[in-house]
Amino acid sequence: MIEGIFFDGETSTKKASVLHYDEQGYISFTDLDIEKIHINLIKISTRLANTPRYLNFPDGSLFETNNNDAIDEMVQTFKPSFFNGLLHSLESAKTVVIASIAIVVLSGWLLIKYGIPYFSNEIAAMVPADASKYMGQGVLDIMDKNWFEKTRLSAEKQAELRLLFKKLIKDIDGGENYKLEFRQGGVIQANAFALPNGTIVFTDELINLAANNMEVASIMLHEAGHLKHRHSLRSTVQQFSLAMFVMVISGDVSTSSSIVTAIPLMLVESGFSQEMESEADTFSLDYMLKHNISPKYFVTMMEKLEASYSDAYTKCLKESPKDVDKNKCIEKSIVAKKGSGDTKKITDYFSTHPNVKERIKRFREAS
Amino acid sequence: MGYEDTNTDNTITNEPFEFTGKASEYFSIWIVNVTLTILTLGIYSAWAKVRTNQYFYSNTLLDGASFRYTARPIQILKGRIIAFIVFMGYYASSLVSVKGTAISIVVIMLLVPAFVVMSMAFRMRNSVYRNVRFNFDKNYKRAYLVFSIPVLFIGTYLFLAAQIQTANTATPTVDPTLSILVLVLLLAIFLMVPWWEYMITQFKVVHGKFGDANFSFSATLKNYFAMYAKGYGLSILIFALLGIVMAIVIPMLSTKDAQNPMAGIMPGLVIVLILPVYLWIFAYFQTKRTNLIFGNLEVQGHKVKADLKTGYMMYLYLTNTLAIMLTIGLLMPWAKIRTVKYKASVMSIDIAGDLNQFITSQAEQQSALGEEIGEMFDMDLGF
Repeated sequence: MIEGIFFDGETSTKKASVLHYDEQGYISFTDLDIEKIHINLIKISTRLANTPRYLNFPDGSLFETNNNDAIDEMVQTFKPSFFNGLLHSLESAKTVVIASIAIVVLSGWLLIKYGIPYFSNEIAAMVPADASKYMGQGVLDIMDKNWFEKTRLSAEKQAELRLLFKKLIKDIDGGENYKLEFRQGGVIQANAFALPNGTIVFTDELINLAANNMEVASIMLHEAGHLKHRHSLRSTVQQFSLAMFVMVISGDVSTSSSIVTAIPLMLVESGFSQEMESEADTFSLDYMLKHNISPKYFVTMMEKLEASYSDAYTKCLKESPKDVDKNKCIEKSIVAKKGSGDTKKITDYFSTHPNVKERIKRFREAS
Repeated sequence: MGYEDTNTDNTITNEPFEFTGKASEYFSIWIVNVTLTILTLGIYSAWAKVRTNQYFYSNTLLDGASFRYTARPIQILKGRIIAFIVFMGYYASSLVSVKGTAISIVVIMLLVPAFVVMSMAFRMRNSVYRNVRFNFDKNYKRAYLVFSIPVLFIGTYLFLAAQIQTANTATPTVDPTLSILVLVLLLAIFLMVPWWEYMITQFKVVHGKFGDANFSFSATLKNYFAMYAKGYGLSILIFALLGIVMAIVIPMLSTKDAQNPMAGIMPGLVIVLILPVYLWIFAYFQTKRTNLIFGNLEVQGHKVKADLKTGYMMYLYLTNTLAIMLTIGLLMPWAKIRTVKYKASVMSIDIAGDLNQFITSQAEQQSALGEEIGEMFDMDLGF
């Protein structure tokens, strides 16, 4: 005897009814003029916590009941199967639930820490070099249109640096595809970056900061490290996999604000980016040590670059007369920076680059 | 759940919606779903979705009967695979060129109205109450008409704005009429948002059916303008007040050099001040929108009532956000249950006579494609 409600399949009319079944598995209802039907002909919904069960009859009619235990007993008697309520048993076993929490937390951490970077690396390496020939030109075009101007470096300086660049990439496997470009940075300031098609772009501002060509070389090697490890391709794959992962895990966060996913995403993405910067640093450092180039060049260059972004530098430029040597201000700002503490700030975790002091320390210790 | 038959005279009785889900139950279902999804590299996610929806539908009761979700996991899996390929194509195109990305965005935009229709149809036809299916008229023509107006306006705006930018870089002097035109267009877009939302919501509601009976929608354009006027007005007021507070507080914190320990807490302070405002705006629109949609919905003389409160929704969002953040996501199921429970508790239906008169209609099965692609690109399908 199972109490429930019956729907005829034609209308929404609800009839309270009681289901009976005999030893052969034939089902009938109290107060309803319906022919007996065997249990094998009806579709019974699987158990899901304590939600109602639905018995679907071939003619479209439906019986709905809250008596989960009675339905389970009936199913177990006439249609025994391993899969009956398998998911429900998993969901109601405390050990499974606790193990699941451990699996989710652990595998989530492993996936983010090792899985996604590893697979992205493999996938990036699989893309043929020819395919990346077309990647990145669009980005440079846009930057040219909006921010960059033609370089103002003298022809001699350019030739000097190109010669140096040629020498450096001779010893890098695949380096023959790397190209060097100069631009006047404008708002981009002193900077250098690598595009997936092998183009390394330097701004005039960065070149002017350098005291000698070897300091520029240390940055060339860092950018070559990005190219060598195919970092732009890798970060695209990483972003994609991360987006998929978050979607699968979170499913529905509409009950809270999007900050819930935004902050962890930012943290993980900057973690990925910092890892790639360190990789490029390693490449540069290894190359320098192998070719007897002093890592000091990277140290002095980074100090100047960092100083060029500082408030002290902008302030110094503002206060000084117009024709003053900009490098004097740089030196002043470096000195000011050195006085400040070495502590890691919270904002460092959200940055795309690792802490500059730690990067510099690595090269200083190696020299 | 009482099993006695409902009365058959035509008096109006108010029946509340009831949600019987429990956080502990749903937590178990959710964590097993996530684990199996990870262990099957995402394939189980289709089954997880069905199980989750079944849990929420079946725990929603009205007049002694439950709602039922009938989508098959295989349908959803197919949709997910196709959406995955589309998504990957989009990422690949973004690598190759900016033009490629622009083209794929335009193509996706052109498909949005079709996705919305497919998605609505899939969702409605897989919802059952009292053994009668909900339904959705797949009126693609009307969908494209409704969606084309905002797309045309925004497209024109983007085109003109791009024109100005190129003109700007070429010559420093810009044709003033062009910039005035852009400003006017921007203002028009701003003013027309309520109208578009009204049109789109109305489209979604009036094409909905329960069995053979059409939904009707009694909200007016005026309701939508009022919602936006109040929402925008109050946000501007709050931001102005906040601006004044910040103007006083910031100089106090940064008077000294950069080594001031107080300087470090600035970003945190800004978040603490901005978050409630952001949550309020979010909660306000969410609340009013739900009230407007469901509070104006009627089917065969039975009227739905919805009375969500912005203050309580904001409290829910705030506590949910904090709870989820502090437990690295483990309280997500709890947050969802209590939110749905609240929503159900403030919704009811005025039943004229009884709910026995609906007739089932023959519905063919829908492809899951629209809903899944819509989900992947995070479009707000609302309803």
